[in-house]
This record gives sequence, structure tokens and C-alpha cells, in this order.
Amino acid sequence: MAARSVMLKYLRVPVVQAVQPNPSSTFLSSFNAIRRRFYSEEVRGTFLDKSEVTDRIINVVKNFQKVDPSKVSPDAHFQKDLGLDSLDAVEIVMALEEEFGFEIPDNEADKINSIGLAVDFISSHPQAK
Amino acid sequence: MSVVAASAPSRAEVLQLYRSFLRVARKFTDYNIREYTKRRATDAFRQNRNVSDPCAAFADGKAQLEVASRQAVVYSLYAPKLKSVMEVHN
Repeated sequence: MAARSVMLKYLRVPVVQAVQPNPSSTFLSSFNAIRRRFYSEEVRGTFLDKSEVTDRIINVVKNFQKVDPSKVSPDAHFQKDLGLDSLDAVEIVMALEEEFGFEIPDNEADKINSIGLAVDFISSHPQAK
Repeated sequence: MSVVAASAPSRAEVLQLYRSFLRVARKFTDYNIREYTKRRATDAFRQNRNVSDPCAAFADGKAQLEVASRQAVVYSLYAPKLKSVMEVHN
């Protein structure tokens, strides 16, 4: 241990600061670091635009096998308007999870039974991508 | 280990079981097994929609779900090195 500290003392090299950093730039970079830390996209998440969410959801529902694409509208109800049953509704919600890349908890998923409700839920969810 | 309830499963419980199946199906690394599990679950739930003994069907479903989740782990240890041509999108 003692030998090590002697060695380290012996090997110590004076560090010359080559470039004097510009004080304003250090301030700016530390400010940016703080901003990144507290306001980063990962932490805060972003809310998707409602019209974009609507378009994507309509697309997913139209691609669902049993759905007649001409019947799909932004305020269609899965069971009343699209003629789907509760099992199909589960499948659609799972397809929406895949489209938007996040997991919808069971109690929320049970409530989603129309395109309007799906749009409301997904556009208010910060993790939807 | 949960004791199988004697009363008929509620609608919400059945949908939850179905959702669990679809979630497990997604975990399979192999495309064919993944799609098969999904298809098998969908077919079975539709086939049993008017089943006379929902308790037995529900208990069977729960047992099968355990098998599927166990198999998903086993299959993940032997994941295929190449993707199936079916999952390649250009």
C-alpha cells in the first residue's frame, strides 16, 4: 500500500490545461445537461397529436380481418357499428398496443370499446410512440 | 397455485384470460409458434363461446396458459438464428 502511494506520487504528472474554456459555453453546456436530465423525451414522454393518433388507429382497425373498411369512422363503436364481439375488441386493443409500442393495462383495455375512447386514451398516454 | 373457483367465470375473467394468452403468444421468439399460439387461443375461445360447462373450459384454459408461458421461456433459450420470411418487411 505504502509502496503504491510512493509510486503514484513519483509518477504524478502536472496537468496543463491546454485550452481555457469559455465561461459562457461551460454554463450553457451544464445548463443543457440539466435540461437533458430533467426534460428528456424518455423521462417526460411525448403526447402524440390527436389527429395522427386517430389516423393510425383507423388504419389498424381497417386492417383487422373482420372489419369492413368502409364502416370505419373516427366515432365508430366496435360492437355496435363494426359488428365485432368482445373477443375481437381484445384483439384490436392488443393490435393497438403493438402499433403504439406500449402496454395498456387490463382495466384500461376493458374500457376501450370504440375508436373515440382508444384515441382519447392513447393521445393522453405519454409512452405512446 | 390458485384454487379453481366453483362458480362460472365472469365475462371479464374470460376476456382477461384471452388477453393473457395473446400476451404470452407475443413472447415466443419463433414466428410459427407465435402465430400458432395466437391462432389456437382465438379458435378455442370462439369454439367454446357457448360451452355447456364454462368452469371446466376456464380451468383448462388456465392450465394451458401456464403451459404456454413455460414453453415461451423454453423456446426463448433456443431462439431461431434467422427470422422467418413471413416477418421480413421490405
